[in-house]
Formats: sequence, structure tokens, C-alpha cells
Amino acid sequence: MSLLAIDDLAIGAGELSLVDGVSLSVEPGEVVALVGESGSGKSLTALSIMGLLADGLQRQRGSIHFDGGDLTQLDDEQLRSLRGSELAMIFQEPVSSLNPLAPVGDQVAESLIVHGRASVVDANRQAVDMLRRVGIPEPERRARQLPTELSGGMCQRVMIAAALISRPRLLIADEPTTALDVTIQAQILALMSELAEEANTAILLITHDMGVVAELADKVCVMYGGRVVEQGPVEALFATPRHPYTSMLLKTIPRLDEEPKQELFAIKGNVPSPHDWPAGCRFRTRCDRATEQCAERPVMSGQIHRVACHHALGGNP
Amino acid sequence: MSRLLQINDLKVHFPVRTGRFGGSQSVVKAVDGVTISIDENETVAIVGESGCGKSTMGNAVLGLAPVTAGRIEFQGQDLASMDAAGRRQVWRDLQVVFQDPVSALNPRRTIAESIAEPLQIHGYERVQIKARVDELMDLVGLNPDQRDRRPGALSGGQRQRVVIARALALSPKLIICDEPVSALDVSIQSQILNLLMRLQRELGLSYLFIAHDLSVVRHIADRVAVMYLGMVVEEGPAATVFANPVHPYTEALLSAIPLPDPSLRHTRKRIVLEGDLPSPMNPPAGCPFVTRCPIAEPACGDARPPLEQVSSMHFVRCRVRVPEAVSERT
Repeated sequence: MSLLAIDDLAIGAGELSLVDGVSLSVEPGEVVALVGESGSGKSLTALSIMGLLADGLQRQRGSIHFDGGDLTQLDDEQLRSLRGSELAMIFQEPVSSLNPLAPVGDQVAESLIVHGRASVVDANRQAVDMLRRVGIPEPERRARQLPTELSGGMCQRVMIAAALISRPRLLIADEPTTALDVTIQAQILALMSELAEEANTAILLITHDMGVVAELADKVCVMYGGRVVEQGPVEALFATPRHPYTSMLLKTIPRLDEEPKQELFAIKGNVPSPHDWPAGCRFRTRCDRATEQCAERPVMSGQIHRVACHHALGGNP
Repeated sequence: MSRLLQINDLKVHFPVRTGRFGGSQSVVKAVDGVTISIDENETVAIVGESGCGKSTMGNAVLGLAPVTAGRIEFQGQDLASMDAAGRRQVWRDLQVVFQDPVSALNPRRTIAESIAEPLQIHGYERVQIKARVDELMDLVGLNPDQRDRRPGALSGGQRQRVVIARALALSPKLIICDEPVSALDVSIQSQILNLLMRLQRELGLSYLFIAHDLSVVRHIADRVAVMYLGMVVEEGPAATVFANPVHPYTEALLSAIPLPDPSLRHTRKRIVLEGDLPSPMNPPAGCPFVTRCPIAEPACGDARPPLEQVSSMHFVRCRVRVPEAVSERT
């Protein structure tokens, strides 16, 4: 049984559809990347797992099963007891996600104390331990400092420490390294994969960066216009992308082994806002393989490597 | 090719108040002795992590950051000693494109008004302005039908095209591009990079390209300077620096680029640096990189190594990798 199974999830704001029929699963210990550009619905999907959708946004249909139970059927109290114990989340902006007025050690220890899993003294000791494990030098001294006294990379480590201290079974990481410099990003990615392996924590990684996906993920779901358009094992998806969007997205990235100064491959048009999504396949207005058939919504097909496209590369199974 | 911009030993130091009541003063050495030049029709990229001083350097050229010491010459003339008329001419030849097109455009102005602004300031006639705005919109790939729209009605990529059109209005020679694509969606970045490369070919522009994305820099730059804590630690032709980095910081930076190829995950050698960037208020003595350097020796903390030539046009500041440098100069 999957640790997390999302089935036909739809999220909207009143009439406006923002996420439309997302299905994906995460197995224990697995790293699944949810890739997409702005407005693709990847962050909303993640927030709805945590039950943290903003006011005005509703889950319109679909189920989210975690460890066999449907999260959408839980009340606030039950959800709260899962968050910070079984489920944890880290965000893109470590500095604004931490309480600026509380010492970082207290913030790392908080979930243990709130969930009654340790005494204050014991939780603080574990917090210092955790800070050491995420690579913060002088953790005893750092634990007493405020987030403003730490660099961005250190704050992101603090967030990871706070998320992992309760040994969650699923960590949702929303653009965890986007705000960081590349050498710090490399440290954080190495740390996440090491910790995940050690504690068998599954990670749902939300990102727009195909490089980060290739470094960390086992499985990839590519989102466009509120839908999953392709999903599969990371090697297969990068080696033989099936959806034209995935294939074009990979081609737009400047590569270190190509001739410089040449014209880069570019996808025509702009990323459409949810108000302007075309009927049928939502990528068809930018796609060079589109035909009249694409006015009809393509269904997801395939076994392990799945794609939703009438004209998938390599033919439809 | 003739020299367009020459920066010599530039220093930008900011005094900051520290201590509990702001009673004591110290100095942030944001840029600490940078020498760099840009020729006509050339792209020079400045790379480095946040806090390395790359944006401050661009701002100093634009007159947006105070120059503490050193000289900035544009077409052979010292910017600091220039009179008002000379400056006005320089502002025509020198333009800027910032990272965030949303905050770079006035939300209440139409696109045409924004693009026309530099033309108005420089006293163009109304008829000339309209024709020039149409021409500029066409040049950057905007439909002239969009001229009366406001930035809010545009996508991020279109807004960045407006910002580029405005920068081109006065036919500049050099454009300082400060992270011009990092706020854009991945599928849009290559459109804007292609636009910048095409404009360079067609108009003979030069770019000072400030960026942290090394794959982008390798693709677009002729020369690259790697900065760390306000200093250039390695500089050279982009192809040479990317293929044969000499400074250990450049090596680490290149090895940290996440590559979009999962098959390399286990074979690639990665240098993971320990620790964070030291505070520019309290930089280490000697080599700036000494606190994080995997090959540092005790003597590296003694004196700042000079920038030494390792091959034609390729310069490195490292006493371990370029040992003969030590005995020569200070």
C-alpha cells in the first residue's frame, strides 16, 4: 500500500479551476518530484495534503489517502495531530517561515513538546542533536539564537531539523533550495537525501528546477495547467520524455556540454493563467504537435511511465 | 575591438553601525578591489553567490552605489570627473535591466508610456517617440497592439521584454543585466536569452551580465569573472573557465550545478563546501575563501593572494594552485 495516494484531486476558487484531477502516489522512503511552472498547481496540491489551503480555495473533489486513511475526512484536530508528527513540510522562504522572535532551538523542539512526545528538557536536548545532524556548527550556541542571526542556508537547515525531529513518514518540501545559493543548495540536497534514506522518510519534492529533480527524485510528476501531464521513473522521464511539454522543457535548459552562444530551444507563447486555459489539452496552444483532436481532453495512459497526450512521443501505448 | 568599460581597482565600502546602540562603526567591503573590462560587442558575466558583491559592482557603474576608491572609465572617460553634459551622454549609452520586471515597471503606466519615458527625458518629439516605441516593441517581440496595456495584464516574460525595450530606447552601447532571467518561468527563460543574444548580434551591444545561474552564463558569456567576498578570484574566457577551472571555489561552484541528467547522479564528483559565506563585515584575513577551502594551507590566512595569470587571458587568485605567484608580488 502506498504511503500517500492522491486520487482525482481538484481544487478551485469558486468557479475557477486551479487543480484538475491530479492523481499520484508516494511509497515509503521514495522521493517523488512534482515539477511545474508558476500556476501549474503543484504548490496547491502540496498544501491540500497538509490541509493548509488558503481561505477562498476549496477541494472540489478527490481523495488524499495517507497510510490508508483519507486525510480529507479528518477534522482540524485530527489533522493537527498528524502535522508535525507523521507529516511535515518545509517551505521555500526559510527566513519568513520561522518565528523571528523565538530562538531556533525552541522552534525545532516545538513539535515534540506540542505533541507531548518529550519533556521540555528532553526536547531541547534532541533539538540540539538534530541541529548538529543537519550540519549547524556549535549547535548549543546556535540553538539560543534568533533566525535573524543566522544565514539563509542555516535557516533552511533549521527548518529541515524542525521538520525531521519528529521522524515524519512523509516530508513535503516546497522549493526547499530555490532561495539558496548553489553551493548551499548542494549541501541541502545532499542532507535531504541522506536523512531520507536513514529514517526511510518519503519526500514529496515540489520544484521547477529539472536539475534538482534529476539529483534527488526517484519518480517524477510533471504538471501543467493544473493537471499531471506525465509521470514516471526519473531515468525514463529524462531519457525518453513522452509528453511534448516535458520534452520541450528539457530542451530549453542550457546544457553545459553544448555549443555556447547558439540559439536556445524556446517554447512559444507564455505560461497561461488559469483564466486562459484552453479547453481540452491545456498545452495545445503552445504545442507543435497539436491537432484538432487536442480540443478533447487527453486521458492518462500507460503503466509505469504514464502520459496524457493524444500525440505522445514514441506513440501511444 | 575597442574598450568600452574599464573598471580599475574598484572599492565600494559601506559604513554600518553595529553594537547594541549603534555606537560602534564597522565597514562592509562589498566590492574590494575589482578590475575588469568590457569591449564592444562583448558579454562579460560576473558570477558568485549572494553577498559576493556582484550586484553592488553593477550599481557602482550605474552610479547607484558610492565609489570608495578606484576608477570607472566609460569609453576612456572617468565617470567620477565627468560634468553634467558628459554624464547625460553616458546615461544614453549605459542602460540596465533588473531581475524583477514587476517592480521595474510603473503599474499605472501603459507599456508605451514606460518605453517612451527615456525618450521624453532626452527631449524627443512626440511623433518621433511614437514611431520609436513601435519600432522597439517590434524589436523585442511585443505586438504593437499591446501598447496601451498595463504591466498587470502581461505575463512575466512579456514584462521583461518591455523592460528590455525601454533599456534599448536610446540605443545604448552597454546594458547591465542583473539576473535578467532568474525571476522568469523556465519555459520563458530561453525566449529572453535568445532575445538578448539576437539584440547583441543585430545592434552590436555589450552586456555586463550579472547572474548566479552558471549554465546560463556559460551559454551567453564571452568572458566570466567569479567573485567571492567582494573580490574576483578567477577570470577568463568562459570556455576556459568552465572547462578548466583553477580556483577551488570555481571548481566547487561548477560541481554544485544540478545537472538535468539523472544518469550522472552517482558518477559525478561533487565538491560540497563546508559552512557558509563569512560576513563581509568580518572577512577572513588573507585569502577570502580560506574558511571554506578544501585545499587551504596554513599560509593562506597570511596575505591576500594576487590575481595571477595562468594562461592567455586567464587569471586566478590562489597561492596553492598558482604557487609561483607567492614569491613575486605581495
